[in-house]
Amino acid sequence: MFKKDRIYEDLSLILLRVRIAFIVVGIFFSLLLMYYWKVQVLNHQKYWRMSEANRLRERALPAPRGVITDRSGRIILADNAAGFKVSIIRENIKNYARTCRDVARLLGISEDDLRARIDKYTDTAAFEPIVVKDGLTTEEVARIEARRSDFPELEMGIEPRRSYPFGSSTAHVLGYLQEISPDEIRSGSGRDRRMGDMIGRTGIERQYEETLRGEEGRLLEVVDSLGRIRGEVAREEPKRGGSVRLTLDFDLQKKAEEVLEGKEGAVVVLDPKNGDVLALASYPNFDPVRFINRFTPEEWTSLVGDPNFPLENRAIRGLYSPGSIFKIVMALAGLDSGTVNPETSYFCGGAQEIYGAVRSCWFKPGHGSMNLTNAIKNSCNIYFYNLGQRMGIVPIASYSRMLGLGRKTGIDIPGEKEGLVPDPDWKKKATGAVWYRGETISIAIGQGPLLVTPLQIAGMTACVANRGIPVFPRLAAGEGVPGTLGERIPLKTEAFESVIRGMWMSVNAGGTGRGAQVEGFDVCGKTGSTQWISLERAEKLARQGREVRKTHSWFSGFAPMSDPKIVVTVLVEFGGSGGATAAPLAGRIFDLYRKKNDR
Amino acid sequence: MIDRRVFRDIDWVLIGLALLNAAIGVIFIYSSSHFLPGNHHVRQSLWVLFSLAVLFVVLAVDYKVLTTYSPYFYLASLVVLVGMLLFARLVAHTKSWITLPFFQIQPSEVAKLAVILLLARIFSEYKKSTLSSNVAVQASLLVFTPVLLVAAQPDLGTAMTFFPILLAAFFLAGLKRRTVALLVVASLVVGFVGWNFGLRDYQKRRLTTLINPGQDPRGAGYHILQSKIAIGSGGLVGKGFGKGSQSQLRFLPARHTDFIFSVIGEEAGFAGVFFVLLSFFLMLARMFASASKSRDRAGVYIVFMASVLIAYQFLVNVMMIIGLFPVTGIPLPLLSYGGSSLLSNFIAIGLVVNVRMRRFANV
Repeated sequence: MFKKDRIYEDLSLILLRVRIAFIVVGIFFSLLLMYYWKVQVLNHQKYWRMSEANRLRERALPAPRGVITDRSGRIILADNAAGFKVSIIRENIKNYARTCRDVARLLGISEDDLRARIDKYTDTAAFEPIVVKDGLTTEEVARIEARRSDFPELEMGIEPRRSYPFGSSTAHVLGYLQEISPDEIRSGSGRDRRMGDMIGRTGIERQYEETLRGEEGRLLEVVDSLGRIRGEVAREEPKRGGSVRLTLDFDLQKKAEEVLEGKEGAVVVLDPKNGDVLALASYPNFDPVRFINRFTPEEWTSLVGDPNFPLENRAIRGLYSPGSIFKIVMALAGLDSGTVNPETSYFCGGAQEIYGAVRSCWFKPGHGSMNLTNAIKNSCNIYFYNLGQRMGIVPIASYSRMLGLGRKTGIDIPGEKEGLVPDPDWKKKATGAVWYRGETISIAIGQGPLLVTPLQIAGMTACVANRGIPVFPRLAAGEGVPGTLGERIPLKTEAFESVIRGMWMSVNAGGTGRGAQVEGFDVCGKTGSTQWISLERAEKLARQGREVRKTHSWFSGFAPMSDPKIVVTVLVEFGGSGGATAAPLAGRIFDLYRKKNDR
Repeated sequence: MIDRRVFRDIDWVLIGLALLNAAIGVIFIYSSSHFLPGNHHVRQSLWVLFSLAVLFVVLAVDYKVLTTYSPYFYLASLVVLVGMLLFARLVAHTKSWITLPFFQIQPSEVAKLAVILLLARIFSEYKKSTLSSNVAVQASLLVFTPVLLVAAQPDLGTAMTFFPILLAAFFLAGLKRRTVALLVVASLVVGFVGWNFGLRDYQKRRLTTLINPGQDPRGAGYHILQSKIAIGSGGLVGKGFGKGSQSQLRFLPARHTDFIFSVIGEEAGFAGVFFVLLSFFLMLARMFASASKSRDRAGVYIVFMASVLIAYQFLVNVMMIIGLFPVTGIPLPLLSYGGSSLLSNFIAIGLVVNVRMRRFANV
């Protein structure tokens, strides 16, 4: 039965080999134990710090921006509302292609847009959330929340979001916010800014960015590797930005926008006593909220490609020939320099040959013999051709500059244009050619290369209304804002009085400005109709099959005559004659002001 | 038939140590996955009970009988592995799994045991003091066939675990210097060809990140780095049960499966690591020692190959999670979550107990 040789065969050799192998295993165990000791005990601090950094993420809590109000402080023009946004965190993306496809479908945006958006930020840190959509509706929020676990790369956020209760009203004053660009973050121009932050791009939002933005808070939270929040360690609440009270009178502002509706143009209303901007409107305008919701590329293209330039603030950036408005400057220059006196007369026969060219008056039958006040009242070209001829370009340019043309008014929103007061030096530099005498004749009635903004004209009008005291227009109200009135300019007081009388007659004695007349309010003003249009712009409009109207329509004036309280400047592009179009619009604003202050 | 005497000699100490390790595994599976759906700790407990039952079934049959029938086991597992490649659905990008109601099993785990028994059968008749090339080639072919089938699934990690079985057999049979040189050259050739033609990019990245895990902390090196952070941050006594931020906050990948030891390292610290290493070492010592209690050559081969298989997996896993070995997806024997691996390791231990308890038995 027992097969001894099989049971007791000699196994000593292979058993020795088993022992050798076991010793090797034992050596491995000892070495591993030593290595674990090194990692866990000797290098503990290093890995402890790494694990702490792993689980704590600092996040910024955006501060609500300060509100912007009208001059009463009661009407809030820019406020904050709760906004939902969804961001993507690149480091949590498992499969880029799938993420792009599925997220685009979930959010209802195009995959290309999404990719373009993510690719814009490829060289910023991978854990930084990239906002892919905001201004979410409640349904969108619910849909995303329901699928949170499928999209660990998405992060929902709620944060205060700028809102503009009156929509596009005052848009050109307030400006708009836009997301900070990666370039700005890199260049460091945005001090402690991060991706997704909105910053003021234009208008008050930009000018007073530092006041309005507030201080962002900080949140230290525990997250897991999927970025899910597991708890909060510390929180520092954000501080709301400081509010800005504007000088705008909301009733006048609304009226200014109302009179411009359907037109292209600008209205500026100033208080000549202190430079307060009571209204500043530019039309067409835009809805600043749409900048916050992020445009689709099509929306953006259509907005910037709009031939009517809704983003352009025409009141401070529109450059126009002043036309007959400039006759105010001419008259003051003529009187102050002694070239003419109030009773100097010229004969208007409807046309006159000057330097070999026939120059006509806008009134073909001719005004007959006119003194200065009547020339202003009737806006007679012939009178001012002769005045210009006698004065020469250099004094004209010098008086223009004294009255604030050719330089920025210094209003507290960015982007203001300087305009242009031409003279022989300028022409030499710009074109290399010499000044022709005939050009002076064009300048004398506000044509030629002379360019002004509506705000400059309002400022000039205020200076006239103040009998020589210039104003520096301002939009932010507040105590102790210095220097809103300048040093009196050294012009003869009688010169102002004569010109003002002419302006009064223009409105109240059947002159070109009669459309602006307001019963019992002594409005003084001057119309202007410019024959100048940029070639480029005319072509653009013509290409679109639009009628090319030739003249811009101006009115600028103040009231009342003896103690001016309000300056109104109206410009309507291609509005026809100043008397027919702009003056009645200004009249409606004067009328409202009078009613409002006539309790 | 079944001799009653043999049951007196069941190695309860070894079975006890195996259960101790499995219990530690269940505890840390709970810690690392209780916040996930799936009740992994409960399922693992059920698998432990089931594997224990299978172990006793294995004890009931004399290992000589098992080795006698081993060619059939071997052929059956080849058929299953081929069938897997043809019919199995992809689960987690491989065809390693057979999906049954309520659970999945991984036939490649069980195939290893068939290979152990078959090699034991071949080498039990081999009594020279050194390995002959005839037997070496024969044994290599028998092992390479399932290796290729498993590698094609593709499950490189499991495929690699067949080689220590073969090498263990060669080592016992006696390696000549020439054979060692041949093996080195062969593995270099396989390595070169494999690197250039066989390995997929993700597998190559795992090897390169072993050398420099920091090069791409969000990519292939991520797992190693997070695991090292977990272990290192555990310190001497750990962060406490259920309090490891790396595992609770899910920075650790495959926490309850391949990286269970990182969870132990984080939550129980060096103390826990030391305890698990010790208990596992004692278990392995008991297994290796069973070789000398074997009544014949086949028994020694079975004990040795089973012990080396478990030791190899354990060492590779413990080195892998701390960055000393490429991430190959080898679970920690007895501790990691996963029924197939648990079952196959319990059967391997069962074979060792089987050999030891029948040292005086009649044939």
